[in-house]
Amino acid sequence: MKTVAYYKGCLASLSAKELDTSTQALAPKVGLDLIELESVTCCGAGDIHEAEPDYYLHLNARILAAAADTGVDTLMTVCNVCTLNLRQANWQLLNDGALRERVNRNLEAVGVPPYERDVDVRHLLWEVAEGDGWERLRLAAHKGLKGLRVAPFYGCQILRPSKVLGFEDPDRPTSLERIIEACGGEAVDYPAKIKCCGFPIIQAREDTALGELVQPIEQAVDAGADVMVTPCPLCHLSLDAWQSKLRALTGRDYRLPVLHLAQLIGVAAGLPESELQFRRHVVAVEPALEKVRFEV
Amino acid sequence: MKVALKIWRSVAGGERTLRDYEVDAPEWATLLDVLDIVKDTVDGTLAYRKSCRMMICGSCGMRMDGAAVLACKTRMYDIAAAGHVPVISPMGNLPVIRDLVVDMEPFWAKFRAVDPYLRDEGAAPEQEHRISQERMNAVHKESLCINCGCCVSECNAWESSPEFLGPQALAKAMRFVGDPRDGATRARLEKLNGEHGIWECTRCYFCTERCPKGVDPRDAIAKLGAESVAQGIDRDMGAKHAKWFVTSARTTGWLRETELVPRTQGVVESIRQVRFALELRKHGKVPPPFPPHVAKDVRQSELLHELVTLQGRVGYAGIVQGERALERHAIGVEDGARDPYGPGSFPRPFVAADPEAGEAPS
Repeated sequence: MKTVAYYKGCLASLSAKELDTSTQALAPKVGLDLIELESVTCCGAGDIHEAEPDYYLHLNARILAAAADTGVDTLMTVCNVCTLNLRQANWQLLNDGALRERVNRNLEAVGVPPYERDVDVRHLLWEVAEGDGWERLRLAAHKGLKGLRVAPFYGCQILRPSKVLGFEDPDRPTSLERIIEACGGEAVDYPAKIKCCGFPIIQAREDTALGELVQPIEQAVDAGADVMVTPCPLCHLSLDAWQSKLRALTGRDYRLPVLHLAQLIGVAAGLPESELQFRRHVVAVEPALEKVRFEV
Repeated sequence: MKVALKIWRSVAGGERTLRDYEVDAPEWATLLDVLDIVKDTVDGTLAYRKSCRMMICGSCGMRMDGAAVLACKTRMYDIAAAGHVPVISPMGNLPVIRDLVVDMEPFWAKFRAVDPYLRDEGAAPEQEHRISQERMNAVHKESLCINCGCCVSECNAWESSPEFLGPQALAKAMRFVGDPRDGATRARLEKLNGEHGIWECTRCYFCTERCPKGVDPRDAIAKLGAESVAQGIDRDMGAKHAKWFVTSARTTGWLRETELVPRTQGVVESIRQVRFALELRKHGKVPPPFPPHVAKDVRQSELLHELVTLQGRVGYAGIVQGERALERHAIGVEDGARDPYGPGSFPRPFVAADPEAGEAPS
């Protein structure tokens, strides 16, 4: 078992609770022991970085410090945006002693332990795509997705900028495909799998965002996908909840169910609905899963 | 060495065809050198732009295996040695004139729209401008732009909304907003806060990933956003959206998700979204704002906010440029983070494992 500090972020605490329950239920099956961080806040989602950048840096340093304080080496995230925000702050703090000193002085001034021991920020996807997590995933996913056609959707901020993320080739990633296949599913390929879902501007510029969102949904459906899977709850929210708005744009009713990564592996690993919580999805998931409901 | 390429050939409005080429090239050849050899020895009608051959003029932007590159910066040795046959196509998001030549006019129109020159709005200075190194550092990387268009080629927001000013024009705008000699900062920011300005960026980071000069346009756009907010130019829904995250982190620690829509869009627009919101609510996607979800020890994040506000690192000056981090990479210090072009970096955009890979221009 690998013990990691678990930073669930905002959405998994609120509108995407199903991501938290499925992650917590899946963790022991893939060899992860989660220590949930308590005294932490939002990472800023790129928004605080763009509004009050120095505050962004301090909030993230505080999260990193809380993770370091648990004594583990890895801070695990379940969201692309949290991953980028935390890794970016970490990259700056680890490589700039003067900056780290200033930020630590400020943390101490408000009663937060300073960020002293280094931690690495890693997404759940990376934990199960290599090493011990990967080996255990292959064993845990024994229930299989038996030919379910799954469209992987990476989203942006787990791939780019690669100098900060750097887990895999940002243009031809393979981690989701490998996981889909390890779960017995069939990975569907389509060009928009590494493009933007439009979520960051879905409130401020809805038309522009929907013009982006339509690409992965339409391409995945046309490629014959039964379901889509994404490692990001923000992508999930636009792909699942905003999907109905595409009807006005294209006249098509796609009804493509979108699963969180932990749910997809969870289905293959036989987790119960009480943990997967598909009822919290806007596009119904059950009809697509009928074809792989296994004889237990 | 033998170098093979597939090149998308077309004349404006005509059919596109993917043609195969194979030529002998010296081991030091770049993609641009190979195109020159093809043009000189195989097919003189092949059209592409070039000038300096040394990553300064910005003429030879094109796509290799679907990713925008400067042809003169892309060495062919490893690609040929692996037996990979890359697909060469024109840049995206711009109309194709012929073969690998695109119409740059939409690009230049955005470029002109941001007044890409110093505007001295006051009286003529009495002596030369003296500027500290620190002040120039804030626009150093933005000054490196060579107007090649590789960022625009891949911009997801531009693709969806062709009126978007785009990463190149916005990075150029930051180069002048951050220049202490410029006298029109506020007027510039007001304009950049328009419908197709700063807040239409979708944060896909393709611009930053592709830029062959390290301009990092997405970072430049964040600097413009931060400077706008710092100067109180925050009427745009994007700015309000960003500010609500600050309020949330400061007051409850976690995002106050349900209040985000009215805080961003205003009450009137939010009412138009009520039917949509009710549908989401059925699935628990609209968590009730009361009681608020409050983080433990949230007082610390409130105090942190007070402290950093007092310290006054606001606007673009508050964005860490990572100079020290970049310096360490430049001299080869490996510290867990990757240098995108250094040893151990991804062989982008070349991937030997998939010889059939290639993407038709859209």
